[in-house]
This record gives sequence, C-alpha cells and structure tokens, in this order.
Amino acid sequence: MIGVATSFLATVSWTVLGYMILLDLCMLVLVAFGARRVLANRRWTGAEGHDQIFASPLTPGISVLIPAHDEEAGILDTLSAALAQRYPSFEIILVDDGCTDRTFDLVADRYRLTPVTPRWTADLPIDGAVLSVHRATTGDPLTVIRKATVGRRSDASNVALNMARHPLVCMLDADSLLEPEALLRVARPFVEDPRNVVGAGGVIRAVNGSRTDSGAVLEPRLSKRWLVRIQAVEYLRSFLLGRTGWADANAMLIISGAFGLFRRDLLVEVGGMDPHSLAEDAELVVTLQEHLRRQGRPHRMVFVPEPVCWTEVPETWSVLGRQRRRWSHGLGQLLWKHKRMIGNPRFGAVGVLALPFFLLFEALGPVVEVVGLASVVLAAGIGALDWGSAGVMVGFALLVGTVLSTVVVAVEEFTFHRYRSGRDLLALLAAGVLENVGFRQVHAWYRLQGLFAAITRRTPVWTAMPRTGFGSAAQVPADAGSTAAVPASAVPASAVPVSA
Amino acid sequence: MTPPAQAAAVGSLVLSGLVVLLLVAVALEHLLRTRRLAREAARRAELTPLVHALLDGESTAELAGAPALLDELVLDLLPQLRGADRSALQAVLLERGVVGRAADQLTARGAARRGRAALLLGNAASAEHTTPLVHLLSDRTAEVRSAAARALGKTGDPAAVGPLLAAVASRQGVPPGVVGMALLDLGTGVLPALRTALDAGRPVTQALAADLIGVHGDPAATDALIALVGDPGRDPDVRRSAAQALGRIGSPVATATLAAALRGSGERPLRGAAAEALGRIGDPAALDPLTAGLRSADADVRGACADALTLFGEPGRLRLAAHAVLCGPSGDAARSALDVLEFTRRPGRHAARA
Repeated sequence: MIGVATSFLATVSWTVLGYMILLDLCMLVLVAFGARRVLANRRWTGAEGHDQIFASPLTPGISVLIPAHDEEAGILDTLSAALAQRYPSFEIILVDDGCTDRTFDLVADRYRLTPVTPRWTADLPIDGAVLSVHRATTGDPLTVIRKATVGRRSDASNVALNMARHPLVCMLDADSLLEPEALLRVARPFVEDPRNVVGAGGVIRAVNGSRTDSGAVLEPRLSKRWLVRIQAVEYLRSFLLGRTGWADANAMLIISGAFGLFRRDLLVEVGGMDPHSLAEDAELVVTLQEHLRRQGRPHRMVFVPEPVCWTEVPETWSVLGRQRRRWSHGLGQLLWKHKRMIGNPRFGAVGVLALPFFLLFEALGPVVEVVGLASVVLAAGIGALDWGSAGVMVGFALLVGTVLSTVVVAVEEFTFHRYRSGRDLLALLAAGVLENVGFRQVHAWYRLQGLFAAITRRTPVWTAMPRTGFGSAAQVPADAGSTAAVPASAVPASAVPVSA
Repeated sequence: MTPPAQAAAVGSLVLSGLVVLLLVAVALEHLLRTRRLAREAARRAELTPLVHALLDGESTAELAGAPALLDELVLDLLPQLRGADRSALQAVLLERGVVGRAADQLTARGAARRGRAALLLGNAASAEHTTPLVHLLSDRTAEVRSAAARALGKTGDPAAVGPLLAAVASRQGVPPGVVGMALLDLGTGVLPALRTALDAGRPVTQALAADLIGVHGDPAATDALIALVGDPGRDPDVRRSAAQALGRIGSPVATATLAAALRGSGERPLRGAAAEALGRIGDPAALDPLTAGLRSADADVRGACADALTLFGEPGRLRLAAHAVLCGPSGDAARSALDVLEFTRRPGRHAARA
C-alpha cells in the first residue's frame, strides 16, 4: 500500500514539477519581452508628443464612465482627478448604483447638481431602473445617473454607456485616481490609428500609502502593510511587464475595468458589458476580439506601458480573499463562455496563445499548486519525502519567483522610478521575495475556491466592500507610510496578475 | 540527491547570481540617479540663459563650444516656438552640425536612431531632407514610419503630400491619424491633393481626405463631398466623414443630400453625422427632416436630431417644444435637448435652483 502511495506521489510530484517549469519558462519569456518593450519605450516611444495630440482637431472626445456603489470615502477625489484631466473634450458620467451612503449627497453638494432629462444615445438592455439624471451647474462636464441597484457593476456600466456621447468611452473604477494626462496617453493610439485600435489600457498601480491631495497623487509611497506591498509588486509585474508582453504578441486578453478606453460604437454593437460576468472587463475584451475576428474586421488592442491610474487594493486577507475568489470565478466563466476560441487559430494569437495560457496557468494553476503542496505534506507524512531534494526544489521555485519580482522592480527603477524613497525600493524587493512564501499559497487557495464556484455554476455575487478613501496630504504626515485605504472591492478582474 | 534536484541546485546557483546582479544594478541606479539629475539640472541652468540670449537676438559666441546638452535644450524648445524664434533655434542646430548628424542617422541600423533622427529633422524644418524622409515612410519599423510622416508634416514641404497620402493605403503603411496630423501641419497647400484623393485610392484615404477637408472647411470640395454622401455604393466610413465635412463647411447646397441620408436606411453613424451636419449648416429646409428624425428608432439618431434642432434658434426650439409634450423616446429626446438649451441660456438660474 505504501509502495503504491509512494509511486502515486512520485507521479504527482513529477507532473507538478513539469508544470511549474513550463509556467516559469512562460513567465520568464513574457517578462523578458515586456521588459524589453518597456525599456525600449523609455528610450524612444516612437509616437507623437502629448501636446500635439492635445492640440489636434482629430483627437476624439471621451466619455468617462464611473459606476459607484457606496463610495463616499473617495468619490470626490476620484471625480476631482477625472475632471482635472488635460484633454480637449471629455465628459464624466457617474452612476450612483443604489448607494446607501452619502455618495450622491457629497457629489450633489460639491457640484451643485440639478435634475435634467436623460439624453439617451443607445438602447442597451438594463435591469435596474433609472431613477433620475443630474447635471453639474459648476461648469464641470459631469452627469450623474441615479439608478436602482441590481448588484451588478455591469448594469451600471451599461446605463452609463446608454448615455455616453463621445466616440470613445473610458471605464473607470470609483476608487481610482487618474494621472492628469491619463486620457491623453491612452487615447494616443486611437488618434494615430482610429480605424484599427478598438481598445487600450495603461499601467495601474496601488495607491495605498501614497500621499494624495484632491485626487492628485503627490508622492507615491508603499503602504506599511506587507499584504499591500506584495500586491504592489503583483500589480507592477502584471501591468508593467505582463500586459506589455501580451500586447506585443497581439494577444491582449484583459484591459482593466479600473481604467480602460474603448470605441463606443463597438461596445454598443456587442451589446455592452455582459450582465452576468464577474470579470466583465476581461469578458468585454474577449467578446470584442471574438466579434471582430468572426467578421474579419481589422482590430488592435493596445497597451500603453505608462502609469495612468492609481487604485486601492485590499489591506486585509478577508477582503483580498473575496476579491481573488471573484476574479477566479470570473475567469472560469470567461473561459467557459469562450471555450470555442481556446486553441483555435481562427482567433489568432488570442486563441492560440493567450486563452490556452489563461486556461493552463491562471485557471488550473491553483489546482496544480494545491495538489503539489498536498502531495509534499502527504509524502512527508508517510516518510516518502526526500528532504534534501525537496528543499532544493522549493529553493529553486522560490528563486524563480524572486528573479521575476526583482526584474520587475529593476525595470520600475530604471524606467519610471516612481518610488523615490530607498526604503520603499527595499520594501518592494523584499515583498517580491515574501510573495512566494505564504501569500502565493493562500492566493492559490482563494483562486481554487473561485474556480470551484465557476465549475459548479454558482450564482455570481458582487459584494460591496468598505473603503476609507485616499490618504490626503493634509492628513498624512510626511514621514508616515500608510494610512490610506481600506480595501477595494471593485479592483477588477483585469488586475489578475499574470503569474499564479 | 536525485538528478533533477542536482539540476535544480545548479539552476538555483545561476538564479542567485542573477538576483544579486539585479540587486546591485538597482542599488547603483538608485544611488547614482540623484547625483546625475542634479548635475544635469545644474548644466541646464547654465545653458538656459544662453538660449534665451539667442532668442533675444544677442551675441552667442559661447554657443559654439557649448556641450551637447544645449542641443537637447533647443530641441525641447523647438516644438513650442514659431516664427523668428523657431528659425533662430533651427539655425543653431544647423550650425552645430546636429541636422547633418541626424541626416546621417536616417539610415542607421537601430530603429530608435532612425526614428529620433527623423523627428529631429522635422523639428528642424529641414525641407532638403524630404526625399530620405519619404523613403522612411516604407521603413520596416512602424514607429519609424510614423516618425517620418510627422517629420514630413513639420518640414512644410508640399512635395510630401502625395507620398503621405499613398502611405495611408500601402500595405506596410502609416496609420491614417498620423498622416492626418502631418497633413494638417502642412496647411492649406494640401487641399488640392485632398480633393483629388476624395475620388481616388482606397476608402481609408478617402475618409481621411474628407475629414481633413472638413477641418479646413474647404468650400471647393462641397460638390465632391455631396457626391460621396449621396452614393450608397461608397464605404460607410467615407460617407460619414463626408457628411461631417459638409457640416463643417456649412454650405446649404448640401442640405438636400444630407436630409436624404438622414431619412435613408444607411448605417446609424452616417445618419447621426448627417443630423449633426444639418444642425451646423442651419438651413431652415432641414427643420422638417430633423423633426422627423426625432421619431427615429435609434437613440443616437434621435439625440443627434434633437441637438441639431437646438442650433436653429427659435424655430428649432418651437419644434422641440411641440415634441416635448409627447411621451416616449421622441419626447425624451426633445425634453433633453430643451434642457441643454435652457442650461446654456441661463446657467445661473440652474445653479441657483441646485
């Protein structure tokens, strides 16, 4: 019996080892390509300066859509940052999705809202009734829609889409702060190639711990919480390098719902956001890719490797768990819905590269990780574990993870250098190591739970999470690291890190 | 230890070395950056008065021996300047051999070098380098092609118009938006070529030509644009761009064609663009088709018609008011437009109410 168990465990171990080597190789290739592109981009972007884009009469207008549910903690900062955009023509559409707190009152007070008749531009189906529409009388291009909530962010997004006027729409989370030139940076590909570019995203970073004032990030800093620091590394790896690599391969699968720019006509054409998806931003990108590929229409999803948006990330394990389960559940839904695209050359690099990668390493990754860990424990329990070999293997796995994280921090330091303090830099490096010990394993467990929910077709549930808003310059002493932010719920599936 | 574990141990050693190297590089970069930036700032502070003196027309004997950082300063300033100031800085670049070196770099192996050289020649408005820049429009690297196109726009040489338009439609071409910005930089001299392009080449070129003609508001292209809008066999994007251009030109000659496009069964963007154009033209003959458009099944078209009616002054307002009493989507569209009208007329009243 012991012999059978030992040989079974050996088989499992070899399978897990092979899987991990394959995953690490893929990640190294992805990160290497991403790093190459980011560094090249810093030397010469090859594109027009932002001043010219700003001044060009060909630059299209943008409708910024912000669905909000109980966001009183940070909504005014989010709106301040969005309204302070340096962009020739834009409007903000905020959707009060059944807020039970003072979100609407705060906005109504600050922008002196007055009720108006809605001006519909599309007829996308929505479930939550629109209660009223308001407009700012302060001269700001702000429209606020109050609607009954149905517990789905996509429904609020679709209402906003129904009222967007401009040719481009920007999806923005209500707990995110835009850089002043965010719209200019990400709209540039649309200005340069208006017929082919259908979607674009940029780099999103964790804002927790940073000094902000009226929506402006004055000084990016790391939170003092290790959980947040690890997520800061995750975000850097995912956005700075992962997505840049995918975009280079023309296989962008995700444009973050925290900040993403799309052509409005195409969004309306595909019926808006999927009302039942928990990863509606990724779902939207894949749906667009599928739709345009099927029709043989040329299209490009672009990733601009420049920081454009700062968002809150969870600060506690319980909130992180909810968020990651939801992402994993959403990913499972997405892969099931678009299963015909997986491995299908008709859908180009998305079908042949990106979707199989997400199926193998993102969706099934937690299964392999948890099984691998269980087999080690079991082997130790029956005395079949070669401690020396196991130690070397674990050390090797840790080192691969550390190399990936260190490359990311190095690229950040050599390019954008947003974290000025040496202490923050050291903390980032340390977080990159610590991520592999404990965080990664717990994360795998959360993702496994999310995957299980997707497989068993559980009803998707959007849960509102508490926020405390952004740490203001006035509130945060110069030497304080982290007072900001409590966990964010609506950091979208798009932020799913590219590595397990 | 098993063979795989031995291999992993060797791999671990290699990876450890890599991590150490990266850490050292990060630390050095972090430590040296501050010093480097401070040094550069000090040098810039020294050189900036020299550039200002040059712009003030003062003697600039020291410029000859100034370090290469001066060229960067001048290149940073160039896009922001016009007229004599711009010419003075361009002359400095020429004297210091920067333009000549850039011209040599146009055939460099690295894409970044070629691209930067192209941009520099554009900023230096070096019309004598039009031919090599035109060659770069078919460069193997997309970014270099775009840089060459933008540079051609800045050189101000009308000879670049033909190659630029051709580059839009070529297989390994330049995105239309980039060519559009370049052609706008070239000014009104490009209009004859754009008029010709309306009826030649591929739809992408035709649509771009129509867009640019609209931005220039060229009345000489009205007939050609009317023909495009009225031809259902044309590409929908081309017809939409032509309709938008007609609106910007503002000639009532186009009213009948645009009204027909609004009433027709064409694609939604075309009908929306036709409504918007009719509003811009403001011909009273468009009141009826726009009022009828309020009953369109498409929300975007309804909204565009309502917005267009607000541009007609009192007659448009009366039409909207008549519809505003109705229930349903057309009433909503009319009420919404009246709200905007009211809002624009008396913003103070709304603010007080709020």
